[in-house]
Amino acid sequence: MFDIIKQFIFSFISTLGFSVIFNIPKGLLVKSSLVGAIGWLVFYISSLFLNNSIISTFFASITVGILGELSARFYKKPATVFIIPGIIPLVPGAGMYYTMLALLEEDFYAAATKGTETIFIAAAISAGLIISTTLSKSIRRVNTK
Amino acid sequence: MNNDKNFGRSQARKLLLLAILAGRIMLKNGAETYRVEDTIERIIKSRKNIRFADAFVTPTGIFASLEYEDEVFTYLIRIKSIRIDLNKINLVNEFSREFVSTNMSIEEGFNKLKDIDKEKTYPLILNSIFGGLSCGFLSFMFGGNAFDFISSLIIGFIVVFSINKIAKYKLSFFINNFIGAAIATLLSIIAFAIGLADNMNVVIISSIMPLVPGVAITNAMRDTISGDFVSGLSRGMEAIFSALSIAFGVGLILNIYLWRIR
Repeated sequence: MFDIIKQFIFSFISTLGFSVIFNIPKGLLVKSSLVGAIGWLVFYISSLFLNNSIISTFFASITVGILGELSARFYKKPATVFIIPGIIPLVPGAGMYYTMLALLEEDFYAAATKGTETIFIAAAISAGLIISTTLSKSIRRVNTK
Repeated sequence: MNNDKNFGRSQARKLLLLAILAGRIMLKNGAETYRVEDTIERIIKSRKNIRFADAFVTPTGIFASLEYEDEVFTYLIRIKSIRIDLNKINLVNEFSREFVSTNMSIEEGFNKLKDIDKEKTYPLILNSIFGGLSCGFLSFMFGGNAFDFISSLIIGFIVVFSINKIAKYKLSFFINNFIGAAIATLLSIIAFAIGLADNMNVVIISSIMPLVPGVAITNAMRDTISGDFVSGLSRGMEAIFSALSIAFGVGLILNIYLWRIR
């Protein structure tokens, strides 16, 4: 439990940092960081249970997408303001690095394993975003009919 | 809406220019293309006597046309550099809402848009400090300890500061990411060598995170879903090449380092 609180605080501050880098307006900084922190928490908890970073990334990116769309609707702001900072901690920077490291050490087996995992994590982020955005669009369509 | 007497041919032309300016500001600061198309069409169609308006936007250019009393105006502009400033997207979004729902004159709209374009970003130092903070806390998230935190904090600060400085020279995004990743790796290796960092891998990973193409991935997906396959493909290409350039930057320095210790 203590670990989860710690992870929440860490991810909140790092998403806040990215929000400042991307120039998110002052009033929305905390909200977008909260979206990112909840997304990371979903990633952390589901990777504890499932022990699979691809599926966990998928769940986390769905969470970030849905929360982003909901807050976009609620605060009447573009959804990307909430989604972009929240996605950053999920991007497989580690996978990219380890793939490169394995390539340089001429360990091609490890490079293929890591590289495939990296590509699948990127695909999982995309799939999560696709699902959440499509959901929100179809809900909007049903509402306006 | 608008009083029709004043709305002549030149006004129609100006309206198109206004819509394009709004679209340009959005696209230049990293908005999705479907949002830009939507904004342009909405601004144009908000005034009377416009029979037809349409816009086609790709990440590198905007085409828009409107038909006014048997005459068609078309403009085409090219977007060269894209940087991320979500505040401006938000402001233009608010502006278009206001312009569509009120009776704002076109000149007033121009002035407002010009003010938005001049809107200041967070100061560079604040930007770098928060970049450093996020790298530091990312190192905790990736399993680093307090030493890794301190070195990621410092390296993140330097990386964000220097990529902001490099971006002023308007090189390509490939070179920017390459240099950023090389700086991050080099400093991490130095920090590890002098004993400041415990776990070199964690420090390198967390200090390249400000460079990863999160915006390109997000926008590529959101464009593709809304049916803009051209934009989706080109943004996806941007994401792939950003990732490659980061990998090359890391790889170059690491290769030299591994060769030294071998």
